[in-house]
Amino acid sequence: MWRGHELFISSLPLLVEYIPATLFYFLVPTVISLIFGALLCSVRVGKKNLLYYLVSLFVSFFRGTPGLVQIYLVFFGLPKIFAGFGIDINRWDAGIFYVIATCCNFSSFVSEAMRGAYEAIDKDQIEAGYSIGYSRWQCFYHVIAPLTMQIALPNLKNLEIDLLKGTAVAYVIGVVDVMGKADKIISLHRGYGQIWILLAAALIYFVINVGIELVFNGLTRYFSRHERGIV
Amino acid sequence: MNLNYAFMISDIPVVLKALPVTLELTLVSLFFALVIAVLFGICILKNIPVLKQLVVVFNTFIKGIPLIVQLLFCYYALPYILRMFNGIAGYEYDPRHPSYFGFAVVAFAFNYGAYLTDVVVSSYRAVDKGQLEAAHSVGMSTFQGLFRIVIPQAVVISLPNLSNYFMWLLKATSLASVVNVFELLSTARASTAVNYAILEGYLVAAGIYWVVCIIAERGLKYLNKKMNRYQKQLFVA
Repeated sequence: MWRGHELFISSLPLLVEYIPATLFYFLVPTVISLIFGALLCSVRVGKKNLLYYLVSLFVSFFRGTPGLVQIYLVFFGLPKIFAGFGIDINRWDAGIFYVIATCCNFSSFVSEAMRGAYEAIDKDQIEAGYSIGYSRWQCFYHVIAPLTMQIALPNLKNLEIDLLKGTAVAYVIGVVDVMGKADKIISLHRGYGQIWILLAAALIYFVINVGIELVFNGLTRYFSRHERGIV
Repeated sequence: MNLNYAFMISDIPVVLKALPVTLELTLVSLFFALVIAVLFGICILKNIPVLKQLVVVFNTFIKGIPLIVQLLFCYYALPYILRMFNGIAGYEYDPRHPSYFGFAVVAFAFNYGAYLTDVVVSSYRAVDKGQLEAAHSVGMSTFQGLFRIVIPQAVVISLPNLSNYFMWLLKATSLASVVNVFELLSTARASTAVNYAILEGYLVAAGIYWVVCIIAERGLKYLNKKMNRYQKQLFVA
């Protein structure tokens, strides 16, 4: 069991090279999902028209099925849909399919976190915003968005950490990130020292997660700055 | 989209047969996760010197690494550990039939045990300290006070969190298909081997997961409502 520990040292630099890839598969869905999730949320807190029910169905599906299944569905389903329009996307990089699947999944979770936060904020604040002559946009920008973010942040932090850990799953469709590279090294060594390679990957993920945690702690401090007393 | 609808309909019962495996994996993992969480929680709540720090470090590390890495780690590492126990207490290590199900349970149990430790600790602390004192004052021992007064309340407090993690775990068990466990997703994949209608198979799996999740969510919501009935306010005009 303890043989192969030199693989830990030798595979670590190989895996570190793929940190940018992992961060790419983490940051791109984050940015897209925050925007898309906010849009979904704005529909979910609004009037109950047809769009509301469609969005609810979308959110329910992507929250109710495993991420792995969604990745497979997009990976095998999207080329079929595009083939209907006569476009061949089988040559696309696997990462694109992963990003599309994850954006749908993650924006559903983000929209729910934001909806919970929006419903928790004091509606008098919004009225107060209108009372001093804010337009709808100003009210959103100066009142609703900061308050919602402040309440949603702890939830969002957990979701972001889950998202980063979720990127490791992408290797099953052939995405090469830290885990994908680890998988390649494992198959290269044919049943020898897999544990040490996985430990190296685990260490990298752990360090990235610590970084995310620190960033979110800073953000939490920033968004709750009005609650701090003056010493 | 030209899907093989006839195959999809005929595939549903085939994939449904694997649903008990997924549910079993979920429930067994949840049970062991709870055992681990309670043990770890006791270490933290009782402030046991070295164990507490070990538990905190271990849990932090577990929470920081992806579940799939843990699954693969157990998948590769546990056979070595089992081999060490070969010949001890009549146990015979069989390298030809490794229990992939058991390996997955170990990974899930430790991963979710780390999360549930927080639930156990926070819900125990959420119960008012006066409750235990009141139990003492009516002549109950600490043991009786804990089991009759404090823990029932802590369970009710932890229920929303627990049901949340149950839903996560139910979905996370699909990852076990990567490490050779024949649960719902890998059965769906295997069932498409006859005609390579792989998308149809995954659609069936997704549909079943969706329905199961909706049912589980409804059921847990009902359970939460039932358990919280003592908190209901009387109608005051």
